[in-house]
Amino acid sequence: MKVTLERSELVKALAHVHRVVERRNTIPILANVLIRAGKAGLELKATDLDLEIVESVPAEVKSQGATTVPAHMLYDIVLKLAEGAQVQLETAGDRATLLVRAGRSRFTLQTLPEGDFPDLAAGELPHRFTLAAKDLKRLLDKTQFAISTEETRYYLNGIYLHAIDDKGAKLRAVATDGHRLAQVEIPAPKGAAGMPGVIVPRKTVNEVQRLLEDAGEEVAAEVSPTKIRFTLGKTVLTSKLIDGTFPDYARVIPLGNDKTLVVDKGEFAAAVDRVSTVSSERGRAVKLSLSDGKLTLSVTNPDSGSATEELEVDYGAEALDIGFNSRYLLDIAAQIEGEKAELKLADPGSPTLLRDKETAGAIYVLMPMRV
Amino acid sequence: MTVRQLPEAVVNRIAAGEVVERPASVVKELVENALDAGARRIEVVLAGGGIGLVRVTDDGSGMSAADLALAVERHATSKLPDDDLFSVSTLGFRGEALPAIGAVAKLSIVTRTPDADGASEILVEGGKKHALRPAALGPGTRVEVRELFYATPARRKFLKSERAESAAAIEAVRRLALARPDVAFTLVAEDRAPVTYAAQAHGAEGRHLRMADVLGAELRDNAVAVEGTREDVAISGLAGLPTLSRANSLAQYLFVNGRPVRDKVLLGAVRAAYADLLHGGRYPLVALFVSLDPREVDVNVHPAKTEVRFRDPGLVRGLLVRALKDALAQGSRRSASTGAERFSSFARRNGGGAAGWRRSAAPLHGFAEESQAAFDSLNVPSADVRTPAALPADTLDRPLGAARAQVHETYIVAQTEDGLVLVDQHAAHERLVYERLKAALERDGVARQMLLVPAVVELDPADASALVERANELSGLGLVIEAFGPGAVLVREVPALLGETDAAGLVRDLAEHMAEWDSTLPLERRLLAVASSMSCHGSVRAGRRLKPDEMNALLRAMEGTDYAGQCNHGRPTYVELKLADIEKLFGRR
Ligand SMILES: Nc1ncnc2c1ncn2[C@@H]1O[C@H](COP(=O)(O)OP(=O)(O)OP(=O)(O)O)[C@@H](O)[C@H]1O
Ligand SMILES: [Mg+2]
Repeated sequence: MKVTLERSELVKALAHVHRVVERRNTIPILANVLIRAGKAGLELKATDLDLEIVESVPAEVKSQGATTVPAHMLYDIVLKLAEGAQVQLETAGDRATLLVRAGRSRFTLQTLPEGDFPDLAAGELPHRFTLAAKDLKRLLDKTQFAISTEETRYYLNGIYLHAIDDKGAKLRAVATDGHRLAQVEIPAPKGAAGMPGVIVPRKTVNEVQRLLEDAGEEVAAEVSPTKIRFTLGKTVLTSKLIDGTFPDYARVIPLGNDKTLVVDKGEFAAAVDRVSTVSSERGRAVKLSLSDGKLTLSVTNPDSGSATEELEVDYGAEALDIGFNSRYLLDIAAQIEGEKAELKLADPGSPTLLRDKETAGAIYVLMPMRV
Repeated sequence: MTVRQLPEAVVNRIAAGEVVERPASVVKELVENALDAGARRIEVVLAGGGIGLVRVTDDGSGMSAADLALAVERHATSKLPDDDLFSVSTLGFRGEALPAIGAVAKLSIVTRTPDADGASEILVEGGKKHALRPAALGPGTRVEVRELFYATPARRKFLKSERAESAAAIEAVRRLALARPDVAFTLVAEDRAPVTYAAQAHGAEGRHLRMADVLGAELRDNAVAVEGTREDVAISGLAGLPTLSRANSLAQYLFVNGRPVRDKVLLGAVRAAYADLLHGGRYPLVALFVSLDPREVDVNVHPAKTEVRFRDPGLVRGLLVRALKDALAQGSRRSASTGAERFSSFARRNGGGAAGWRRSAAPLHGFAEESQAAFDSLNVPSADVRTPAALPADTLDRPLGAARAQVHETYIVAQTEDGLVLVDQHAAHERLVYERLKAALERDGVARQMLLVPAVVELDPADASALVERANELSGLGLVIEAFGPGAVLVREVPALLGETDAAGLVRDLAEHMAEWDSTLPLERRLLAVASSMSCHGSVRAGRRLKPDEMNALLRAMEGTDYAGQCNHGRPTYVELKLADIEKLFGRR
């Protein structure tokens, strides 16, 4: 194998694929990236056995072939090469090493045979649809914070992506950790309607989010009951799905809450953040005391003091005191795009519904704390 | 008192089973009988590991010839006056011990009441009862048991070596001797010199003297007194400092109404009280006496009479945990003493309270002293002996003294009036932060996060109902559960401190622990583990240089903090070396 290519092209592609490679591996070849030179150019591939990313890079192929080298090391090398450099990759005669050359720098890297590189046999992915990159980004970004990190309930360790029919076909993403829930939806793209409900693991969500940062307008998605694939331009990410049943989340969404509070999102978040400064430990509650047109936020920490702040708000229902984990409130506030956030409350022991006052399509449910 | 046959109905309610398992059980039953007979002195003689011979002689009430003949029959007893198994005030109550011994060994009893003309003797061999005959003996009773299990070689095989059996028999006497300081005991065994525990006065003083006799100086000098009453239950005794721990629970001497027991509720309470002071796998040394109305405790649970059932286990447990924790908090400012002189002078002086600090008569050796300052010029990298702006005048006579230097950026060297103290700064500070967090948890309660979807946890029905019974207590710890059918509980709220936690796993742990130990330890432990790791992060690390003022502040804070003698992991936070010990090291004494 012998190829020459732009340093910047190689950096960009390696930046995408190398992150899949875990820093510590018990299987040596998983630390490597597969480099394959074919007629069409160069292809890079990395995997952790659950997730694989393949990216093709334009290159001048002098002779075809494939090998694998340590991914993080190759990335670090290429990063440090001079900008605008031409990089030459060449396997030595016996194929045991890869020669990396740029300008006056030469590196010889140990390789492992490409035949041993694992393949995430994707099989047939029968459900295909295309969606706007910004829509996919919205589905993931706004639900990701609620993914559970607690491993015994593994089926909550991802985003539940599924199609529903609710005043028109929708593609919906849901995540919950048992304390809060996020639900975001977009009109279902053509071809999505019949797809199975799937749970996309957290790591995959993170990688897709990163890839979306430099993606084009559109993303193609392919789904089977066990795998999902996203194609973003020249990058193809294929991932296993979480094999489990997502709980029936619809019944925890309180639709009948009748006390409506509308706040300026920025002011609200800033106030929550300010008063919670006095709580030194995680899991301390901020108390929301609501009365006509007024919201008082307070935190008491017997160790260090207390804080209160008053906000003028739009609230006309009967007075109510309710406590929330301040971090949870801030997480949700951060998802709200418009200026006004709307909270639908029932009582201090029941779930509260939060959403953007103007834009529809995203709702959040938060369970209170006892204060 | 006359011996009579128990009615059939009572017999059937007695916890049946093997009474005699080994020589130790024979010794225990015979000494208990002597105590029940009001003996003032008891002599126990062992030969051949107690398998060859056990002889117990007492100066108690003795028996008439007629009573003696009946006493070796099954279910014949002079105790249990109203046939009421629920208010037993004697150690024996079943009339089982003598016939059981007579069935498996050669039993001889010689006895005489104070006003009788002469003594009578009876022999029972392998269950065969011989005729009574006259004998010679002063008032009292002498019981001899020879050739235990002589007729049942199979059961002999289960015995350990003579040495081990002898040790177990001696242990049985020690336990009873602890229970009754007012009775004199003499113990004669082949492989050791005879021991006599003199009779002591009733009351706390006598009990302490007996404990010192039986348990030796180690526990006495490294223990704190435990005292507590709630409703009609009273607890007293000694609790060993956590630094004096063992790898098994054998050195936990527990008594209920003068009866030595190995009771789950009590053992669990001890474990809970020491939970955050000791590593798993280490057991504290304790000698604890519980006294309560005999009607509040059922002793008819186990054939060896070593288990009891409290009518209100929660009360007893709560009281014991509280009393132990209070006592340990009192005594915790000291670690185990290390020198030859076992009594920690800190504890002694501490008893007087802060006002009792004596002013030092010796001239004050401050940081400013020249010989110390000279170290600076040597440029020893990790011994910080900088001069503080102003040395607090009287810190030498504080228990942990005045900080003199920091060595290896890890240890503080402090000088006290009569010795020196070496403090592990990280361990000490971690303990301080931890105690503060723990106090905050106790004071503020545990904040609870409600769950969007209550978690259903399937359990054994008995476990589920045991948990639900404790629902109130659990909610105080931040866990709100409800009954959910016969074999499940519903978790509605979890401690917010634990963040996103595995509620089902937590509840299962709790249920298991509750069944075995009747305690909520797993939950408390998790909360404290979080507190603990937070305290570890917030603590001064080893390797950080401390200014003299900081060192002194740490010493003063340790003096004012409960349990400051050990870090969260049960290691000592400081050690003390007495001047006398130092002098010994140099051969000056
Ligand atoms: N050392 C003794 N001095 C006086 N009386 C004794 C002595 N040992 C036994 N007895 C009498 O013999 C009876 C039978 O003793 P035994 O140990 O068999 O039963 P118990 O003590 O009544 O009950 P348990 O089986 O629970 O020990 C006693 O109730 C007591 O009256
Ligand atoms: Mg008896």
